[in-house]
Amino acid sequence: MRITCPFCGERELGEFTYLGDAKPQRPAADAGEDAVYDYVYLRDNIAGVMDENWYHGGGCRSWLKVTRNTLTHEISSVEPAAGAGARQVAK
Amino acid sequence: MVEFSWDVRSPLERVLVAGRHGAQGDAGVSLTEIRNFDLVQVMARRGQAGEMSAAAKASFGVVAPGTPRAVSTADATLIWSGPDQFFVLSKGGKHTMAALAPVFAGPASLSDQSHARVLISVSGDKARAMLAKVSSIDLHPDSFDVGAVATTSMDHTSVTLWRGSDRNGQAVFNLLVFATFAESLWHTILDSAAEYGVTIGHSEELA
Repeated sequence: MRITCPFCGERELGEFTYLGDAKPQRPAADAGEDAVYDYVYLRDNIAGVMDENWYHGGGCRSWLKVTRNTLTHEISSVEPAAGAGARQVAK
Repeated sequence: MVEFSWDVRSPLERVLVAGRHGAQGDAGVSLTEIRNFDLVQVMARRGQAGEMSAAAKASFGVVAPGTPRAVSTADATLIWSGPDQFFVLSKGGKHTMAALAPVFAGPASLSDQSHARVLISVSGDKARAMLAKVSSIDLHPDSFDVGAVATTSMDHTSVTLWRGSDRNGQAVFNLLVFATFAESLWHTILDSAAEYGVTIGHSEELA
């Protein structure tokens, strides 16, 4: 499998580290225990297209958001995660 | 009272043996360690990539690389090292940390890497064949021309690789590697190069 880093170009899988589902958003401080439990522990086991966080540690050391089909490994998009480089962190 | 010696030494001093190594005949690979350079990492602060680029342009007279490229001026090379960051490589003390701090005060954070990296220059007929064993980057001239940069891994070690100006009609590949990993990578490179015959040396001159 190869991932096309938006900064470096096409690179081998060995340069990247998988973090997991990019969907969970940190709940507000007053969101309650259930929301925090869900955010920290509960993950969907998606058979199909999902957004994932990958880290290009063997290259430009950027966090990336990869859209991948878990059944076929087909990657449909790779974009910088919020705050990669000197970008403003998305609100 | 313990006496310390603060002599500057190359991290490769124990393993770099100048001369001719490996297979006999014409040496296919030439390895040269470049010593005593100034290297400063410049990283844009949050939301200030544009201001950093403007400061670089004003100081160096060239546009700092925004993609994996290396740009040379008369006395410095600006090497892309990641999104919104680059290295300033130079000799002679003109672009040290102290000299660059006022230039980038505000838009960028600087980090002195002069003694944190080892710079190895690879050339020779078999340079590409040797590098192909340790790198997954396509180094064919069509896809890795003069000035091309890759921040990548060799033998699980992070390196900044770029193609310098050709020397005697031959491609020159420069490698910046963390000082404490340099000895390990050096052994790997030497093993890879041995079958082609290697000329090893060190130099004070940037390629």
